[in-house]
Amino acid sequence: MTVKSKSGKSAGPSSNGAGTRQIDRRRFLGGAASAAGVAGLTAATGTFPMPALAQNSIELVTWSWLTASDGEVWAQMIQNFNDAHKNKGVQIRSEVVTGSQYMTKVLAAAASGKAPDFGWCQTGRRLQQINDGVVVPLDEVSMQVGLDWGDFNDFAVSKTRYPQHGDSKWCVPMDLMSMQPEINLDHVVDSGLDPESAPKDGDELIEWAKAMTRSDSSGITRSGIMMTGSDIHPSVTWGIVSAQMGFERASADLKTACVNEEAGIRAMEWVIDLFDKHKVSTREVTDRYKGFGTGQGSIFWTGPWTLNGYIQQGLNFKTALFPKVGEKQVTWFDMGGLEMYVQSDTSRYEQTMAAMKWLSDNSLLWVTKGRGGTPRKSIAADPRYISDAHPPQYRQAFIDGLEFATIADVPVTTSPEFAIYAGGGFLQKTLDGAWTGIKTPEQVMAELKAHWQANLDKG
Amino acid sequence: MQDEHAAIDQRGHRMKQAEPIEWTGYLFVAFFAVPFLLFNVGPILFGLFVSLTEWNIIGSPDWVGAANYLQALSDPWIHQAFTNVLIYGLLIVPGVVVLGLGAALFVNAGYPLTGIARTLFFAPHVVSATVIGLVWVWLLDTRYGLINVYLGRVGVDPIPWLTSAEWVIFGVSIASVWWDMGLAFVLFLAALQDVPKDLLEAAEMDGANRIKRFWFVTLPLIRPALSMVVTLQLIATLRIFSQVYVMTNGGPAGASASPIHYIYNVAIERYLFGYASAIGVLLFILILVVTLLHRTVLRETV
Repeated sequence: MTVKSKSGKSAGPSSNGAGTRQIDRRRFLGGAASAAGVAGLTAATGTFPMPALAQNSIELVTWSWLTASDGEVWAQMIQNFNDAHKNKGVQIRSEVVTGSQYMTKVLAAAASGKAPDFGWCQTGRRLQQINDGVVVPLDEVSMQVGLDWGDFNDFAVSKTRYPQHGDSKWCVPMDLMSMQPEINLDHVVDSGLDPESAPKDGDELIEWAKAMTRSDSSGITRSGIMMTGSDIHPSVTWGIVSAQMGFERASADLKTACVNEEAGIRAMEWVIDLFDKHKVSTREVTDRYKGFGTGQGSIFWTGPWTLNGYIQQGLNFKTALFPKVGEKQVTWFDMGGLEMYVQSDTSRYEQTMAAMKWLSDNSLLWVTKGRGGTPRKSIAADPRYISDAHPPQYRQAFIDGLEFATIADVPVTTSPEFAIYAGGGFLQKTLDGAWTGIKTPEQVMAELKAHWQANLDKG
Repeated sequence: MQDEHAAIDQRGHRMKQAEPIEWTGYLFVAFFAVPFLLFNVGPILFGLFVSLTEWNIIGSPDWVGAANYLQALSDPWIHQAFTNVLIYGLLIVPGVVVLGLGAALFVNAGYPLTGIARTLFFAPHVVSATVIGLVWVWLLDTRYGLINVYLGRVGVDPIPWLTSAEWVIFGVSIASVWWDMGLAFVLFLAALQDVPKDLLEAAEMDGANRIKRFWFVTLPLIRPALSMVVTLQLIATLRIFSQVYVMTNGGPAGASASPIHYIYNVAIERYLFGYASAIGVLLFILILVVTLLHRTVLRETV
């Protein structure tokens, strides 16, 4: 076979010097096979073949979805680990994966035998992956590396378990998060309210919200209570308020869906009233984080992951405890933690667990600069837990509020279907029907009950 | 003579002369054929298989027969997503065709500044869907968006383009038309430049005005391009995803959701790959039917 060079001149050492380059079939096929081999390897591994880190050393891979300011702190945590283990034969490579695709990518990677060694868990949402053997139990391996479970508070440890799997622990808790209202203090002052105070119950909340709401002829220009018209924010608001009013998505034994439906319906009406009766919220907000940061809203319930951003931008705000709108004061809870994924080479587990232990033992940075409160008793007793963190005006409510942060995910195989804090899920789309007036709260409740009961019946 | 006899077998058929196989030819074809079979045909067949199973990537798929299809037929979110995508088709395809053709006619007429106009009309098409989505979220903001600000100057009340179930499909469609118009513009412009000038001059000499010249001369001559634009745009619209994902995430209340967005939701966020594949097959059937209908109506082969 002859391949003529573009210029008509000889091309390279194999040229015959007659303006053409002779490539025999064997050489061509050999080259093609090499190229195909490299392409195949690249496709299979996602990278070009690279030399190993070093002989007898191991590189652990961790995945997370952390991309906001907490992502920078997590990157610093990994860097600290790598610096501390420079000549000890173990390093961590951290990779970021889109949050909504995180578990699917872990599943795909695990199915092809290339799961990351460890990653971030969503407490209460991993039953299916545990059943599938993708998430690995930590009891034995954590004992091998000497992780002191006694240093974790009992509530955090209880959240590492699934009732279907007895006492096994499935993640190492890293932070505890609650949802509490952040309040714009400039709005408080210009509305004649007391900046040292905060609304304690539902009536006071509406009173404060009305005082801080601003409108003109075209509608609300500043929401007393920052809401979006659909999706995640009204959903989590309903989740919190309905739980305060006595509604349960699933009974304690996970057999019955929608316990106390009337309370759930009342909570939907409470949310709708924010828009239509009290007129303290507008459906026209599309980005709640930006909205609160730019002064379009006065009270915004959110989590501790927002603190770094708002403090850095100089927003004048404080955080308060979620008011008692219903019969009991409860709020949304989540626990960030590290979980380990199945490997074909099980000898990696011990080193992975040792790395997770190091990160947990050294999580002071994470719970002071990253997010949330600490699940470790020793860190909570460390004076730097207060001195190194954001001032109490911003952070304390998130810590104190953990006492009544009990609304967690429903630990069933289809837990995403029950999640109150998730974008575009079944619950959000169904509730949107009520917020937009397409359906009545009663119709929405009937749909929730039918769908959730079918999911609980699956186990 | 003997050779000729040898070439005839016992059944009286002429045997083929043994020719050497040119493997190099197969090799060149393989560079396209192998990836095509591996990454196009293979996944399609695998998707068909998965649609008949219950599978979450891990472990072996469990055969469930037509259960996913039956579930899909009674799923109200699917009904809504398919209804939405047909509405998208009715809004976006005519919008792209009319505006793309209008822009091409303007540039083809050779008015001043058409060089800049040519770039401006095509520019949105090279921008990623994510950027388009993010920009249009701001442009269509009910209170601060430029669109409503300008509409307000002519006395129109603020329109909740992306926050109301009634308007959201129009909001997403506007962004999509703006994004997709560039390709249609280029295809129409190429077709217009191929229209023979002498035909237009003859029509003009016969007394045809500008509209008649367009209707009776230009339009029939660019019909293949028109057919291709409609077909391509129809398929692109039935597969709409990025704008929906970035601008509204399918909301509010699923009012802007599309079948691909629902497939993404079912597969990636709920790990129901069998069910998602079944919806994918249904969408494939819809695209096939709509395209065949459209081709039959236009009776055009391109």
